[in-house]
Amino acid sequence: MAAVPEQELGFHERRRDSDHESFLAHKRMRWLKVALALSLAAILGYAFADVEPRPNGGTWYGYTLGTIGAGLIVWLALLGVRKRAMTAGRWSLKAWTSAHVYLGLALIVVATLHTGFQFGWNVHTLAYALMMLVIASGVYGISVYATLPQALSDNRREMTKGQMVDALAAIDRQLEASAQPLGRVDADLVIAALEQDPFGHGFVARLAGRYRGCRTQAALAALESGGTEPEHERVVTLLRKRDAQLAQIRRHMRLKALLEIWLYVHVPVTVMLLAALTAHIVSVFYYW
Amino acid sequence: MPFRIRTVDFTATGREIVRERELEQAELSIGRAAENAIHLPDLAVEQRHVEVLPAPGGKLRLRAAGTLGFTLDGRSVRDATVDPGEGSELALGSYRLQFAREDGMVAVTIRQAAEREGGKGEALGGFSLAHVLPGKRPMAWAGLAAILIAFLALPVWSHLNRAPAEPDYDRPGAVMMDASWRTGALSSVHHGLEDQCEACHTEPFVAVRDETCLACHKDIADHAAQPRQAVARGPLGRFEAAQWDVAHAFNKPGPGACTDCHTEHEGAGRMEPTRERFCADCHGSLDARLTDTALGNASDFGKAHPQFQVVLNTAPNQARRQRISLAERPRQWNGLTFPHDLHLDARGGATQMARRLGSGNGYGEALECSDCHRPTADGVRFLPVDMENDCESCHSLVIDQVGGVYRKVRHGDARQARAELMALGRASRPAIVTGRGRPGQYGEGGLYRAEFGGPATGAALLARAMAKEGLCGECHTPAGGAGSLEVMPVTQPSRYMIHGWFDHEEHKQEQCTSCHAAAESGSASDLLLPGIAQCRDCHEGESARAAEVPSGCAMCHSYHPRTGAAAAPPRIARR
Repeated sequence: MAAVPEQELGFHERRRDSDHESFLAHKRMRWLKVALALSLAAILGYAFADVEPRPNGGTWYGYTLGTIGAGLIVWLALLGVRKRAMTAGRWSLKAWTSAHVYLGLALIVVATLHTGFQFGWNVHTLAYALMMLVIASGVYGISVYATLPQALSDNRREMTKGQMVDALAAIDRQLEASAQPLGRVDADLVIAALEQDPFGHGFVARLAGRYRGCRTQAALAALESGGTEPEHERVVTLLRKRDAQLAQIRRHMRLKALLEIWLYVHVPVTVMLLAALTAHIVSVFYYW
Repeated sequence: MPFRIRTVDFTATGREIVRERELEQAELSIGRAAENAIHLPDLAVEQRHVEVLPAPGGKLRLRAAGTLGFTLDGRSVRDATVDPGEGSELALGSYRLQFAREDGMVAVTIRQAAEREGGKGEALGGFSLAHVLPGKRPMAWAGLAAILIAFLALPVWSHLNRAPAEPDYDRPGAVMMDASWRTGALSSVHHGLEDQCEACHTEPFVAVRDETCLACHKDIADHAAQPRQAVARGPLGRFEAAQWDVAHAFNKPGPGACTDCHTEHEGAGRMEPTRERFCADCHGSLDARLTDTALGNASDFGKAHPQFQVVLNTAPNQARRQRISLAERPRQWNGLTFPHDLHLDARGGATQMARRLGSGNGYGEALECSDCHRPTADGVRFLPVDMENDCESCHSLVIDQVGGVYRKVRHGDARQARAELMALGRASRPAIVTGRGRPGQYGEGGLYRAEFGGPATGAALLARAMAKEGLCGECHTPAGGAGSLEVMPVTQPSRYMIHGWFDHEEHKQEQCTSCHAAAESGSASDLLLPGIAQCRDCHEGESARAAEVPSGCAMCHSYHPRTGAAAAPPRIARR
């Protein structure tokens, strides 16, 4: 099994490790309990705090929740720095990630109560909306991490990405050789299919898994009814193989896109949130 | 099955050399050892690596001879069957062997890859979304810059560089993008300043100051003189003191600043009245700090509020009116004799009189309060009862009839009334029987002419005018000596309570008698004002959940002392 790369073996080894514990269940869900306690305290405080004239971000309780929320946001964003240094122990990266997830969810309660349910078209609500978007993308990320890797693994059929590319290249070389007897029109179809970059399709095509401009399929459709000579049949067979290989690559790309898309929201929007949060806090004190 | 082995090599100059040989054997072996039918000199290839065996249907079976597998069409396998008709590619080390069918033979074309495949790493990157999306960092930086510029740099820059100007409802705002900073709509009175944040938020990082409010609200006076007001302020609890410490650390004014009570940006509509708590902070225990105060402690209308105090005259000729608590059951002296019970008695003369006057004169089946008491235009209070409009329908001042026209005594002018009464006797009296004259000397102008009417001359009326049943004395208290028609001045206070405001308009669905016990009052000195207990039937403190009308201080009281109607709470002053 020399062809199975080390990283894949490592992956399986880790999965077999009986010590493995998901960051969600870390330390018997310690951070879930902390987050629930924080949320409950925030709700009780909101219900009983004596604020005038009504609950919002500008009361003493509102400022308290706002300070907690802003601190949480900054700390949660620091995971991006922290994750680059893996350590074990009490403040292990796993503990940090577990806290990141649960405290991030608690932020929904803290920040929503901080708003006092007053929303408008302003930078304050912008910060809130960006924060909710970040949290929602994080929830999506966890959910796809829980479900999609199995599908990704099933689609691989024990091939690495490199092997998928190699297989496609092998088919392409055979196509190139086999297509030599074809006439001009058919040869052009094969050239068009071979020249098309399998990774050249756009974001939407990847995510939806629909490739309308696929030239391999176009060539296949044109050649399938074209002739019965063995040379022709051979090219059609190879085009079918190419189509099947492309389908696997595309499924892989789609699953990978579904797995990765949340980070394209989570990370840049977090940075935008930090900007909006800064503007929110500065503006409140500027127009004090 | 015969095999055609075609080896393609390249010279150093890149020229292709093709060598072909044919093998008439059923099986092939491929490996690094020289005895193999196909010999591949590559260390990555085993001595005897793959065996090619015939398979049913003209196919070929490829089987690993050793422990290592091989790559067939890009996949790692140890055993596979290929159809030369369809073609297949076997990769071993740096060599690629393509299987095809040519002229009934299996053609095996062997090429050595020119170099290790370059660009494969790049191709693997194509699987990732990063291949088609802009990087997370550029997106993050672009978003960061856009937000900081639009929502922070632009407003701050334009606020710092604006031209100084007075607040003006008609001027557009000078600060760009600060609408995005607005935490909520302004109340309706400040709505015109909605796009002029800088009118109130004049200095960066300085909370709105009293001076800024007073720039427009010029005639607002202080609630109480300093230092009394500062002394009166209740001691802060530990938590409140800590709150103020934090607030002062962040440059907040107060306590006692305009913005402590009047909070803005709470949404469109009326500004909310100040909460009871702000008053109770000082007034809840005022006597503990202002020991000389005449004000009772008050913190909650339902639970802690002194009995109402009224201002009135209790005796004739008082230089100053008295301020007395209703708890002392004060009696007022207003110069009049007026029994409410007599007028409201359903079987009394006044009722009969009203019925006789009838609806044509504005009366109903009985005498109503509203027959005499008319509200002011704003409905808040009542106009003074007026003799001509409210009393004279029954209490007639007519003294004579001349040719179908009634003469009456002028009300309100003692000397004029006296003159009119004195002149009454001199006027001709109407004939007792019309159309017939007495004969001779008994007739008019004759020697024996006699007046047979009663002694109703002006002099007689005048003599009895000030008696209990007299023309004036029936209602008024005499002020002059014998023969004088002077009466004591009548006082009809329009307000008895000088610090609280009561709005009759807001209570018009109530019966008058549910608060004013007029039907049981036999004397004008009865004070028909309800006490606090009666108000508490409906009104209790702001936080009283069971109350029909939870009532904060601001419902009846105004914080800022002004004069006239402007001193009333805005709700009443607005009328």
